[in-house]
Amino acid sequence: MDDENSLNALHMWREWLVKSEKGWSDALTEIIGDRALSKDMGRWAQEGLHTHRMLSESLGQMLANVNLPSRQDVLDVGERLGRVEEALAAVQVELHGLRAHLGVGPAATAALAQPRPRRTRRPPKQN
Amino acid sequence: MATANTDRAGQMPHAQMAQADIDNRLRQIIDRALSRGALGVPALALDLDLGVGQTPKELVHARDTARLYRYLPKLDEIYRVPVLLVMSPVAKGYILDLAPGQSFVEYLLECGYDVYLLDWVAPRREHAGLGLADYVCDMTAGAVEQLRSDCGEADVSMIGYCMGGLLACLHACLKPNSGVKNLVCFTTPVNSEGMTLHKRWADSKAFDIDLLVKEFGNIPSEIVNASMQALRPFQRAAASLQLLNNVVDDDFVKATLRFDRWGADQLPIPGELMRDMTRDILRENLLARGELRLRSRRVDLKRIRVPFLHVAAEFDHIVPAAASRDLIDMVGSKDKQEIVIKGGHVSLVAGASARKRLWPQLDRWLAQRSL
Repeated sequence: MDDENSLNALHMWREWLVKSEKGWSDALTEIIGDRALSKDMGRWAQEGLHTHRMLSESLGQMLANVNLPSRQDVLDVGERLGRVEEALAAVQVELHGLRAHLGVGPAATAALAQPRPRRTRRPPKQN
Repeated sequence: MATANTDRAGQMPHAQMAQADIDNRLRQIIDRALSRGALGVPALALDLDLGVGQTPKELVHARDTARLYRYLPKLDEIYRVPVLLVMSPVAKGYILDLAPGQSFVEYLLECGYDVYLLDWVAPRREHAGLGLADYVCDMTAGAVEQLRSDCGEADVSMIGYCMGGLLACLHACLKPNSGVKNLVCFTTPVNSEGMTLHKRWADSKAFDIDLLVKEFGNIPSEIVNASMQALRPFQRAAASLQLLNNVVDDDFVKATLRFDRWGADQLPIPGELMRDMTRDILRENLLARGELRLRSRRVDLKRIRVPFLHVAAEFDHIVPAAASRDLIDMVGSKDKQEIVIKGGHVSLVAGASARKRLWPQLDRWLAQRSL
């Protein structure tokens, strides 16, 4: 396979690109890290934020008119899911506390209903 | 037609032989491409279920965006001092438990440690006001307290990864009596002068962090991801090409897809935390200057006196050595050590070679301090 790959022009080209990636990346990072360009990027980011707000508001209205969910609606669903997950986490923590109080491990794993391991381990002796 | 294409002796003319060679070669290339595709399909199908974070664990404590898990021990006899892994609040904790055989958590369990993980979930709107002080003084401190109560031990070893290392350091510094017995930091940024690109962006007068926080509340993971990508803009493209070159190697494909999934799976950042990090840590570099204050208390890392280990990666582009190397001098511990290994930011905790080189060193360092 190696012999085949060494004759495969596409493989060789890809290999060369992978090996030279760091050089390309460093060069581009140097360009975008330039002080003047950093300043411009900051300004573009601000303009982007204003555009983002305008588009969100106008698109949200349009999507509502055609009865489709906007990004904000999807984010709201995410928020509700987050609250459900938090409630589930609270139940899990309560269960863990109860099990610890009763001195048993998780019911799903019978082996875990054994006592906790001894805390007496010592490091292996170095030769 | 066939006779027209052969010479008098019934042999194929030179041009036709060359054509046959080309046909054969093309057939071979197509066959190989098809076989590669056929071999690659099962691995690519794994993209839906890469089986990350499989080591069994229990949720012990939840507060705001913090989740404290306890991994179920694998041995009957473990070290007295439990280990708390502190994950970075901008990334998901499954990188520490990527897959069986490629899991830092699994390694620690097999070495006989009682392992806990402080992981983070995506912040909701109500969490936008959580800042660095809340992450350190409430969530990290709360997790340490819960861990001690859960395992019944007063001492704990903290291992922080990336920004998790920063949280662990700040906690150990501000709460020296909270039972931190050993402190290990993996590639922890403490000096923003070493983070050239992000510092220049943050320094730029045109970059208005307040406007960003006001607009989004919590900073979307896409923005976090883009800022990380800018540090090595062509890395993902190169990884895709490397995947193509190794598509017949199922293990390589699976490992690459797992890394790729984690790399694209960043967490959003609470707005206030982003503001604190940008203003105090990146722009003003207050931690390195010894002027950072959390809840009116000055953070002086010299107050950290516990055994300390710092692990840095030579080719780390996310937290370059220049951003983390001062940490070892900043802490006040007498028992302190630094290990620099060849590798990148992620390969420290999930790379194939880390299991052979770094993790055994860490085990040797930690085991004798976990009694």
